[in-house]
Amino acid sequence: MSYILNRILSMLLTLFLISAITFAVTNILPGDVAMMIMGTQSNPEALAGLRESLGLNDPLLVQYGRWIGGMLTGDWGTSLVFKEPIAPLLLQKMTASGLIVLFSMSIALICAVPLGVWAAVHPNRWQDTASSSAALLGVSLPDFFWGIMMILLFARGLHWLPSSGFVDPGEDLLLAFRHALLPSLALGLGLMAHLTRMTRATMTGILNQEFIRVARAKGLGERTVVWRYGLANAVGPVMTVAGLQVGYLFGSIIVIESLFNYTGMGWLTYQALLNRDIPLIQASVFVIAAVVMLANLIVDLLYVLVDPRIRLS
Amino acid sequence: MTDTTQNPETDPLPRRRSRFRATLVRDRKAQAGLAVLILFVIGAVFAPLLSPFDPNAMTLDMMSGLSWTHPLGTDDLGRDLLSRILHGTRVSLFIGISTVGIALAIGIALGLVAGYFGGWLDLLIMRYIDLQWAFPNFIIAVYLVAVFGTGLLNVIVALSLAFIDDFARVARSMTLSLREEQYVDAARTLGFSKGRTLFIHILPNAVAPIIVQATVSVSYAILGEASLSFLGLGVDAYTPTWGLILADGRGFITQAWWLGVFPGLAIMLVVLAINFVGDWLRDALDVRQAVGD
Repeated sequence: MSYILNRILSMLLTLFLISAITFAVTNILPGDVAMMIMGTQSNPEALAGLRESLGLNDPLLVQYGRWIGGMLTGDWGTSLVFKEPIAPLLLQKMTASGLIVLFSMSIALICAVPLGVWAAVHPNRWQDTASSSAALLGVSLPDFFWGIMMILLFARGLHWLPSSGFVDPGEDLLLAFRHALLPSLALGLGLMAHLTRMTRATMTGILNQEFIRVARAKGLGERTVVWRYGLANAVGPVMTVAGLQVGYLFGSIIVIESLFNYTGMGWLTYQALLNRDIPLIQASVFVIAAVVMLANLIVDLLYVLVDPRIRLS
Repeated sequence: MTDTTQNPETDPLPRRRSRFRATLVRDRKAQAGLAVLILFVIGAVFAPLLSPFDPNAMTLDMMSGLSWTHPLGTDDLGRDLLSRILHGTRVSLFIGISTVGIALAIGIALGLVAGYFGGWLDLLIMRYIDLQWAFPNFIIAVYLVAVFGTGLLNVIVALSLAFIDDFARVARSMTLSLREEQYVDAARTLGFSKGRTLFIHILPNAVAPIIVQATVSVSYAILGEASLSFLGLGVDAYTPTWGLILADGRGFITQAWWLGVFPGLAIMLVVLAINFVGDWLRDALDVRQAVGD
């Protein structure tokens, strides 16, 4: 319990530092919120008035205090581009991205674990080469390349799936899934490659261990040895890597969501950066960091559930 | 007097060298990888001589397929694809290598200092590394380029800042374990300066996992540049890079397949080659054992 508390405290400290850094960096940007609202051609007096009323003339530290206070009380400000309150906007986009992140993670795990095990069971045979080559192919091209190929194949060629757009799962669940599928596949491919390599490496190490030899010597079937004895021990490390990849996925969604015009968190962050929507940039960067850290914490906690030998300290 | 004579467990240099050769002879993938990399480096160095056309010269010969004049076809503005890819090799490889060079230098310095001195310095540096750990590398790069503007230098700085934590982590964990070695104790007892102990006695023995991390990072940097270019946050609209060529061509791929296939192939070949060479280096340098020590 104290471990979890410690982790949460250290997470909060990191988040606090992140908030300070993003606040400082975004304030280096040329132009300020007042100019973004009124435009560069606006009357200087009106601009000065708006600056005063927005509190932009206060010292940076005071502005930062006001911002952090707002974040803590749920008032995250209003987006300059979307003209909407930021907190509900982020929540909505986060749900959209959460859908494709979960989807791609599932696709990647479902494909990677059997492929990796298959390769590990037949080291240096064609099965190993095939699975390793497929994995390498996945990591050796940028995500957007696979995205373009999928649009060409599944949307333009076969007309199976829509090539762009986002549908709220609350409105039409099936349509939402159809829109989420291609971006998830494009995201999942790179991830799958990583996880296949990781599963293979972990399983190869485990299958060479004494207890596997003992299990075989006892006359247990190969299937039981590999899946019940071998894989059970590989789940922890593979899961850790999968958890660390949540961060990688949040990096990739910027490109993938822009390509598929899927209006999630990545798309929103990119729009915020392009349009210098300062309040939205600050909030979205903060939220992404929080989600990535939370994902890592959850994986560490799950690890204990999967492997009872591990004691958190 | 070198530290290797004091510590028989570390590979003496000559043995390491023969090990490189021995593992390379057996490793066909590494041979292919090295060959591909050498070819691409030659292509990059001699790009102006090898290119049949000016990479930015527009002609009326738009989106024409493969021919003797245009071996890889032309793009939507009639520019020769082969010339663009050759010039793109220069920029993409340069970005990949210089990015990792910068990240490596800063990351190693941070990791060495944190691991060796411990205390509040370690705490401070680790806090920074944790902080960066919370951000996906690519988001850091996108954020920095979006804030400070596009351009070659900004792309390199943004990508290298994004990779610092990876190197700092590796260097720190190696330093932590090496700090307790006898030969480091000996160096301290002999009164060598901290800088000398760090750079002459610890760093050379921590080099293997760092080299492996570096090779992987070069491929990530190349892919990162491609993704930045795709978002319009790359070098600039006139400097061909593999990512930019791919991004520019994406609207025309249905009419002109070569615009997607060849730049994609260039990225894929180089990244694959780097991965193969990285795997070989990992085996040759026996990194898993070194990290496990």
